[in-house]
Amino acid sequence: MVKISRRSLLQASGLAVAGLASPAILRSAQAQSGPVKLGCLFSSSGTMANLEGRLNYVVKMAADEINAKGGVNGRTIEVMVSDPASDWPLYAQTAKQMLQQEKAAALFGCWTSVSRKTVLPVVEQEKGLLYYPLHFEGDENSKNVVYVNSPPASSVLPAVDYLMSDDGVSAKRFFMLGSDYVWPRTINKQLKGYWKTKGITESAWKEEYVPFGFSNFQTLVNQIRAFADEGGGQPIVVLTVVGSSIPDFLREFANQGILATDIPVLGLDMVEADLEGLDTQKLVGHLNCWAYLQNAKGPANQTFLKNWADYVKANNVPFSGDVSIDPMVSAYDSVHLWAMAAQKAGSFDVPEVTKAFDGLTFDCPSGYKISMTGENNYVARGVFIGSVNDKQGFDVLWQSEGTPKPVPFSPYS
Amino acid sequence: MSFWRLPILLSCLLLLASGAQAAPLDRAALVADLCGDAGQMGQAGTALLDVAANGSAEDRAWAAPLAGAVLARGLACDEESAVLAEAGLDALTRAPREPGDKARKPLASLKNRSVFQLADAALALRSASAVGAREAALKTLERKPSQIPDGLLEAAAASETDAGLREQIDALAQTAALNASDPAARIRALASIAENPSRRALTKVSALTSDPAYASNDDFRRAVDAASARIERGIAIGDALATLYNGLSFASILFMAAIGLAIIFGLMGVINLAQGELIMIGAYVTWLVQQGLRYAAPSLLDWYLVLAIPAAFLVTAAIGIAIEVSLLRHLYRRPLMSLLATWAVSLFLINLVRVVFGTQNLQFETPFYVSGGVPVIGDFIFTWNRMFAIAFAIVTLTLTWLVVRKTPLGLNIRAVTQNRDMAACIGIPTRRVDMMAFGLGSGLAGLAGLALSPIYSVNPQMGQNFIIDSFMVVVLGGVGTIAGTVVAALGIGQINVLIEPLWGAVAAKVIVLLMIIAFLQWRPEGLFAVKGRRK
Repeated sequence: MVKISRRSLLQASGLAVAGLASPAILRSAQAQSGPVKLGCLFSSSGTMANLEGRLNYVVKMAADEINAKGGVNGRTIEVMVSDPASDWPLYAQTAKQMLQQEKAAALFGCWTSVSRKTVLPVVEQEKGLLYYPLHFEGDENSKNVVYVNSPPASSVLPAVDYLMSDDGVSAKRFFMLGSDYVWPRTINKQLKGYWKTKGITESAWKEEYVPFGFSNFQTLVNQIRAFADEGGGQPIVVLTVVGSSIPDFLREFANQGILATDIPVLGLDMVEADLEGLDTQKLVGHLNCWAYLQNAKGPANQTFLKNWADYVKANNVPFSGDVSIDPMVSAYDSVHLWAMAAQKAGSFDVPEVTKAFDGLTFDCPSGYKISMTGENNYVARGVFIGSVNDKQGFDVLWQSEGTPKPVPFSPYS
Repeated sequence: MSFWRLPILLSCLLLLASGAQAAPLDRAALVADLCGDAGQMGQAGTALLDVAANGSAEDRAWAAPLAGAVLARGLACDEESAVLAEAGLDALTRAPREPGDKARKPLASLKNRSVFQLADAALALRSASAVGAREAALKTLERKPSQIPDGLLEAAAASETDAGLREQIDALAQTAALNASDPAARIRALASIAENPSRRALTKVSALTSDPAYASNDDFRRAVDAASARIERGIAIGDALATLYNGLSFASILFMAAIGLAIIFGLMGVINLAQGELIMIGAYVTWLVQQGLRYAAPSLLDWYLVLAIPAAFLVTAAIGIAIEVSLLRHLYRRPLMSLLATWAVSLFLINLVRVVFGTQNLQFETPFYVSGGVPVIGDFIFTWNRMFAIAFAIVTLTLTWLVVRKTPLGLNIRAVTQNRDMAACIGIPTRRVDMMAFGLGSGLAGLAGLALSPIYSVNPQMGQNFIIDSFMVVVLGGVGTIAGTVVAALGIGQINVLIEPLWGAVAAKVIVLLMIIAFLQWRPEGLFAVKGRRK
């Protein structure tokens, strides 16, 4: 891994020099003819490959849809794909290369918050535009990033509220288990702040972190059982581990005989793809929360699912055509939102496109009309709580009435 | 006091029971509730529980399939009423019919799910025909003793035909009497709770210290104290066993991952970075065998983990031999080159598998011998998939030891390890021994992949998780000794498991690494050093 990053570092720094040397005027006067380029920052190798890899194809699919209708501002869209290899610094270098060398009009990418944090200074410095399709910890508001998915206030908190309510399981005690990086730590910090405002004492929760790619959950599941048996009300697990740790955790959890009706798991990063290869019979009832679930009702979702299945078949995509996850839909929304903004602005220049965000709406496959305001670069999305079924998918257990207004900065952290 | 209380209590119970039986079950309303919102579904679930405890035999037989159908989302609600989708019967009349076009299958919320699980078990305990089904139902009820409706266990015990099961039901009924008013029943309940010590039981028992009876009744206080002492002892034993078992299971994984490497590293001094990928390929071969069995011999499907053993060993051994013959043979004098070459091989194998099979986690069947676990004592659960890995590691250890110690090949391997030039002088074909040893080491990695497939997710990246850990084991154990590998794996596994609950998994990794570094400062050759040609 070291070798790759060093080579790319050399490349990137070379490019940086070239970029600095070229007069700024050349950049804005970029070629006015030919296709306009969009860049993807999703890994096709490393731990995130199975999840991020499929997003490349969704972006391409969305671009094809737009091109079929005549493109944007009279120009067609060309999607560039890269492979940052689940190596966080490489995301920044690839982003730099795409913005400087390829003059990408917008970037679509990153899954983990740590990769977004490495790309952030690059897009800010290069005045690029990054569409980030994952729900995340919030507490960030850059004018160069469009946060297409929800901050905790409109994803995690409604789900935790539901579990704490009488309709849920009246949860009283919380075991937080996460991978050791910024997203889980920030989410858990906000949750703790939130519980404090609800008068829940510190003894009612416990927090544990594991390294990336951790797989031996035996001891931790023992700890969860011990925590649950202490009494004091219904316990739940707030799971923020990512990547291959999710199925490994669920397998051990089920194997020790714990059912969702004993201790429900709220898997914040758990998607349909994580259940591939698991016997979900014993996991029925565990929960996740996203802005889209594959079982969302409505014609928009049916169309999206059909288009995706057709696209997979026609282009020999190495991912399943029957599985559709929230970040895929968010990436799909991203491309359309960008195209609408560029069309409205009549330009591909980032400041112009950004100004056009106010009042954009799009019929998301989730069935909600998602919208943007001029206040910030957040997108108002619906909220779903899903419940694992025995067919390796999620049933919609609860969904919000409308699209709550996104709150970028949490009052609880 | 209890003399006059008992008859009143009994008559109350009788009244209650007769009252419940007198009101006929409104079946239509119950089905309508099952199709209603979350609140109504909850009511329906409670009603089903009540039917299980107090309903007439006909009502119970009628209600028996409903809770299960709701849990499995097999109840299709339409305008008319509802249909049990699987059987194709109307939920109300049990006449065969198909659900309407706009039928909706209600999803039980988590809270309702737990009620329906209980109701399903309660109904099954009363009316399932197979003893096994009734026993399973009792196990489900045991999980939530406080929610078992009054009278259910007594009624079930009265009609139970199987003596063993009746005893179990009685025992559960006794524990349920913990909050009864009769002190003697409570003391009996305490004794039977203490028989199955667990943290949950301890929480329940220690809550009784604030009970008024604890202060006023000496017998009761003694019983509570004795019960909590007994439970605490059980928990302590259970925790010690759990720690040992977890350590042993982690050690078995480390050992399986490292043993192949130990042989290769020990014999040739080649740092084989592709070892993790050989583990991954072993798991993929296991999956292929499973898929093959699915088509060729579905009856043997459950035994794929056993049947795949030769395939996993031979395929990975062949790949190992191919790597040795085509690549490493030419690089023995250049250790750095061989390291880079095996790294290239590892990247090649990952990408090859990714192109051929995709990046998703493979779907493995979970045969009965690697699924679930049995509670032993306290909170210690003996999980079968870990036991499989432990047993597999022990068998592998024995076989490897036999091969190395008792066969001519092993003799040659040991001779070459100790002094390559001298071995060559006395006529041992060192090149062939290298090849065979590399094949053996690779084959062992393949077996590791097989043993790990019921525990970990199998995908192209899985091998990378193991390479660092296995080098840690090999270096700590002393290069090339089987005994060293065993002891190092046991040590690292146990220490990890001991540290994890105290300071967390992240710190455990760091502390173990620091301990190994410190140990190697003091003893660079590892735990068991081979006196040999190593510089």
